[in-house]
Amino acid sequence: MTISFRTRLFVMAALIVGTVLAVVLTLGWTSLLRNEIDRLDERLCMEARRLATQPPLAEDPRRLEADVRLRLRLPSSDDLQLRLERGDGTVLLQSARWNPALAAQALDWRPSPRPEAGPPPREGLERRGWDRGPPDREGPPPRDRGPPPRVACELAGFIQAGAQWRAARFATPRSRSFVAADTAATKAELQGDLQRALTVIVPLALLLTALGAWLLSSLTMRPVDRLRTAMHGVTRQALDQRLASRGEDREFKELIAAYNTMLERLQTSFQQATRFSADAAHELKTPLTILQGRLEQAVHQSERSAIQADLTDMLEEVGRLAAITRKLLLLAQADAGRLALHLERVDLAELLDTLVADARMLASAQRVSSEIEAGLATQGDALLLRQLCNNLLSNAVRYCRPDGWITVIGHGRQGGVEVIFANASAPIGAEHRARFFDRFHRGDSVHGRAVDGHGLGLSLSREIARAHGGELTLMESKADEVRLRLWLPGR
Amino acid sequence: MKVLLVEDEQKIADFVCSGLAARGLQVTHCADGNTGFATAQQAGFDAIVLDLMLPGRDGLSVLAGLRAAGVTTPVILLTARNELGDRIEGLNLGADDYMAKPFYVEELHARLQALRRRLAGERQNLLQAGGYTLDRIQRQVGWRGASTELTAREYSLLALLMRSPGQVSTRSQILEHVWGYDFDPSTNVVDVCVKRLRAKLAELDGQRDAPSPIESVRGAGYRFRSE
Repeated sequence: MTISFRTRLFVMAALIVGTVLAVVLTLGWTSLLRNEIDRLDERLCMEARRLATQPPLAEDPRRLEADVRLRLRLPSSDDLQLRLERGDGTVLLQSARWNPALAAQALDWRPSPRPEAGPPPREGLERRGWDRGPPDREGPPPRDRGPPPRVACELAGFIQAGAQWRAARFATPRSRSFVAADTAATKAELQGDLQRALTVIVPLALLLTALGAWLLSSLTMRPVDRLRTAMHGVTRQALDQRLASRGEDREFKELIAAYNTMLERLQTSFQQATRFSADAAHELKTPLTILQGRLEQAVHQSERSAIQADLTDMLEEVGRLAAITRKLLLLAQADAGRLALHLERVDLAELLDTLVADARMLASAQRVSSEIEAGLATQGDALLLRQLCNNLLSNAVRYCRPDGWITVIGHGRQGGVEVIFANASAPIGAEHRARFFDRFHRGDSVHGRAVDGHGLGLSLSREIARAHGGELTLMESKADEVRLRLWLPGR
Repeated sequence: MKVLLVEDEQKIADFVCSGLAARGLQVTHCADGNTGFATAQQAGFDAIVLDLMLPGRDGLSVLAGLRAAGVTTPVILLTARNELGDRIEGLNLGADDYMAKPFYVEELHARLQALRRRLAGERQNLLQAGGYTLDRIQRQVGWRGASTELTAREYSLLALLMRSPGQVSTRSQILEHVWGYDFDPSTNVVDVCVKRLRAKLAELDGQRDAPSPIESVRGAGYRFRSE
């Protein structure tokens, strides 16, 4: 099965647009997640600072923890770890989930990228590192001298029990706070939001993808369609036509130029071939005329019957040659699209009746029947239509089985005229049927003898039908039947 | 009957002239268009046989010139080239008949006779030979008061033979005259038709055993028995 170019184009475009959309969505998700973590960090810092600067000594530790949890928007207390200690190391507050190993862990603390806004800690303007070392290791605070150093929150990430945590710490000379939150909750929240958004975005994205792909494939196919239409217009009668390339894109200009070159070569060789057969046929006619005339003269002047018989035989051969020449000339004219028609009213019923009578004479052993609508007539070239019908009936007689039948049915149809020529024949293979209208192709004889004729008749008949705007076709039939349908348009 | 032949091919002109002369016609020959045109304007010709491909002035131009000059002499065109186109143009220009090369002189003669009859106003509707009478209008053949109908083919064949009794018509000539030059020359349609015609004639005169007036000339063709 071949997939159409358009379909392939559509699929490719859809894949590309789809991939781009997927990448954009992934990048968007990553950036959203980072943003959300940053905000979590910010909140962690705020909480750490609040704890450190306002030691909630009076408050109930449980309530304080719950308050922090709410502010951090954590769904469960399991997601929170916090610890508050005095400057001397006394633990003021510690959450239930506090992991003691955490304090021992060396985390990669980094200052918060966004320095804390808001009032500086009341306890002092200095910022002190917060580690497990004794606080007196630090130098004495430079009180009231120089610009106040900015007190910043420090942040770190760690992994505990497979979950990713973010932690913030804040230290003042009097107290140190530590707040950590599990990011899973934040992620889950974001995922929920995203899922809700995606249920809207994904169908929309798919629709856009399909629409974009369809537009793209249509846009690509449009010049191709235009070319195809133009190429269909080039018939053998109009081989001098050239496709216009104005306004086309560069690639199509090149294609059209190549096609036009091909057309030109075709036209040249076609004209040469046509002129050759026309010239050859014409050049043959003068010697044929002389030969036939002289032979005719000799037959009439000859006294001896033996010579007369010989001359008559020759005369018949000349007649055969003349018939072939004439058909070749007509075919050459038809090929060149110059089969000149002398249109007049042709009484097809009378013509067919006469020819059927001839067929009856010739095929006396076979059943010859006809069913021709009275007054059946058409507008056409009487000479050529007579030749056409004559060819078809001669063919029917020639190829009819000895015990066979010949039928001619003619009637008006669809504003035109339809004539069916049918006869019983020897079984005809598909390869013969396919080559039925080929020139110089002849079917096998049913009589076992060589079949006379030269295999030009059917080809010429079809050309005559086409020159009249009609058609001659071989109809589907049983293997041992030939059924030809002639259709001529009404005028 | 006086006929003007305008044909540049000498060999063709030769056999046409001698063939028509042998059939009792007076033929004048011109080999080019200009002479032909000048000669044709002289009075006294009953018909003109005009080739289309001529040196000097081509046949269609000669024909157009003659008709323009008011010469109404019947014209039969002869052509070898683009038959169909020339035929249409020739008939439009006022030609009376048309023959494609190669042609039989016998057939040309028959056409000339037909033209003459048409000019004579179809007064000679009956053709007589060997005691038989052929009615051109009714397409009937009669013998001593009795008559029988003929088909178009039978009539045409009998008319050809009866026109020149004693002269042989070959099967090809008969085929061309009766069936037209597009008929398949390899069929035996002529023999079959002659057989049927003989049967009809025999039935007419009631002499089935007597020799038929249509004689076979062995190997050559047929002829109508001369008295």
